[in-house]
Amino acid sequence: MLNFKIDTNKIDKIGKFTKEEKDFRIKNLNYFNDIGFPNKRNEDWKFSDLKEIVSKNFNKLNLKFEKSEKPKIDFIKDFEHNYIVIINGELVSSDFKYEEKNKIELQTFINDDYSDKNEKNPMINLNHALSDKGYFLEVKENYKFKKILVIYYLFTGDLDENILNSKNKIKIGKNSELHCLEFVVNDSKRNFFNNVYEDIILDDSAILKNICLQNSKSLGYFHKYSKNKLSSQSNLTSFIFPTGLKFYKLDLEINLEGERSECNLQSASFLNNNEHQEVKTRVNHLFPNCKSYQKVKNVLTADSKGVYQGKIFVKDVAQKTDAYQLSKAILLSDGSEFDSKPELEIYADDVKCSHGSTSGSLDKDSVYYLMTRGLSKKESTKLLVNGFLNEVADSIKSESIKNFIKIKLDNQLLDEYKKH
Amino acid sequence: MLEIKNLNASINNKEILKGLNISIKPGELHAIMGPNGSGKSTLANVLSGKEGYKISGELNFLGKNLNEIPIDERAQKGIFLAFQYPTEIPGVNTSNFLRTSLNKVRKAQGKKEIDALSFIKLVKEKTNELGMDEKMLSRQLNVGFSGGEKKKNEILQMKILDPNLIILDETDSGLDIDALKIVADGVNSSRDSKKSFLVITHYQRLLNFIKPDFVHVLANGKIVKSGTKELAMQLEKTGYKGIN
Repeated sequence: MLNFKIDTNKIDKIGKFTKEEKDFRIKNLNYFNDIGFPNKRNEDWKFSDLKEIVSKNFNKLNLKFEKSEKPKIDFIKDFEHNYIVIINGELVSSDFKYEEKNKIELQTFINDDYSDKNEKNPMINLNHALSDKGYFLEVKENYKFKKILVIYYLFTGDLDENILNSKNKIKIGKNSELHCLEFVVNDSKRNFFNNVYEDIILDDSAILKNICLQNSKSLGYFHKYSKNKLSSQSNLTSFIFPTGLKFYKLDLEINLEGERSECNLQSASFLNNNEHQEVKTRVNHLFPNCKSYQKVKNVLTADSKGVYQGKIFVKDVAQKTDAYQLSKAILLSDGSEFDSKPELEIYADDVKCSHGSTSGSLDKDSVYYLMTRGLSKKESTKLLVNGFLNEVADSIKSESIKNFIKIKLDNQLLDEYKKH
Repeated sequence: MLEIKNLNASINNKEILKGLNISIKPGELHAIMGPNGSGKSTLANVLSGKEGYKISGELNFLGKNLNEIPIDERAQKGIFLAFQYPTEIPGVNTSNFLRTSLNKVRKAQGKKEIDALSFIKLVKEKTNELGMDEKMLSRQLNVGFSGGEKKKNEILQMKILDPNLIILDETDSGLDIDALKIVADGVNSSRDSKKSFLVITHYQRLLNFIKPDFVHVLANGKIVKSGTKELAMQLEKTGYKGIN
């Protein structure tokens, strides 16, 4: 069993810090070292024993201090876009050629909030202790992006049993709007761990639409804690397509902190051999008249495992809350597993909250129907799986982006089916 | 075309078909009528190759033993089943599905895949014939279709795939008189000397629009009476109890 403990003197290798920051990092590192990677005894990690997963798949796990060579970037040509390039978590370049520059601020992220809260989440502790990269993007008030922003997250070929810790922050000012595509490209042929802490702030009436897409198969183990603050009448829409990662856990905290704020989260993933993915959400309805919508779809094959833990919390004052969550899974093999844990905690009396969870094998009648039209069992399965997952991409409004995403997802599925 | 001899079929140890015989020649249209639970739909399922049945007896299609041929290959060889309850398939675009299906059948028959343009032309022609709205094809397969739309979609698939043996399983159920006429016209205009039809129906009504060459009465898993379309008229008067 890999005993992953980090010496506190490593913090000095990351950089020079004020005493306050150094203390903060050391405190967090001690928290992490006490517990290590979380295991299933921790309720939040009940279905994803990260300690076991890391032990099984990593011989060592090193911090990365040396710079990597800048890889060649294949920019997307299907639609015009602004971009930011992030290599191994580090902000490298950007281009906002379609926008008014004075409305946008982008800088390397420096954490200056050490208030945090004796937080006891080992992965957040680890990030607080070791994060050395990241970006801060701010869209000023009253500005709507004219074109989508693509954030290229590149992971280099020299990553080899490394762990990366980065922190990102996005702030959308009052009445502003940003559409974003996180495009993850991975050149690494070896295992690596990517641990991200993300802070998203939407001011009054701000809109953020975000799509996260894995470009290809990856030996990446990704954990992301995402904290979202939504002010009055703001709107967050997030589409997540993590197909291809070895491990993925998205831990999403959404705080609806102003009246009539709304969030819409949808994810679709195809999991293959030995892959493990979890979406965990906590949506806090703290003000009246807010809406939240979650839909999580998974197709699992071989011995993969999928998890959805979704919690909706409704504070006593949050009347007229409209909250919805749905998880649907199709299991294509006997060895695959899907766990779902929906939770509602409601203290207001005039609310609409609903949740549903289904998992099962592919509908036999549908396969039969397609086969009577000349399609083989495999082709029928593929068509049905595609249809099941495509439903999420179909609700993307922009046609050019939707088509781009759907072609990528179709190709991913084709790759999966070639192997069977 | 189709030769069934002493066909027995059971599911979950329950015998449904008990020694059924029928012979259909090219160009013929046979109607099978029978009360609820007589085994009509089981016959359709068994012919299409649906799994889960234990089968004995002879099932010959164009000289080949069907028992050993899986569902999709039967379709590729020209057997088409129009479903009583067509399955709704979310997320699958009707037009894409139709083209995939047609190309599978063409490929199996040694023909070239149809290109997008010719396909659109073909579909346009066939939807017009059936008085269908082309827009239906951009929708998800059978999802939210009315009963009539679903049945028309089955007939459209039949027309596009151009099979040899067509089994219509209670295609008339749930249709109003206008939709029934359209569906019947679709069938009638497809009849020729090479195609054979097996029309399964509960009511004689459909046979006012589709004229059968032969009518068989199926009861308790067997053909108990065979005749021409006059038999159907007789059934209408006396009910199934009047037979035997």
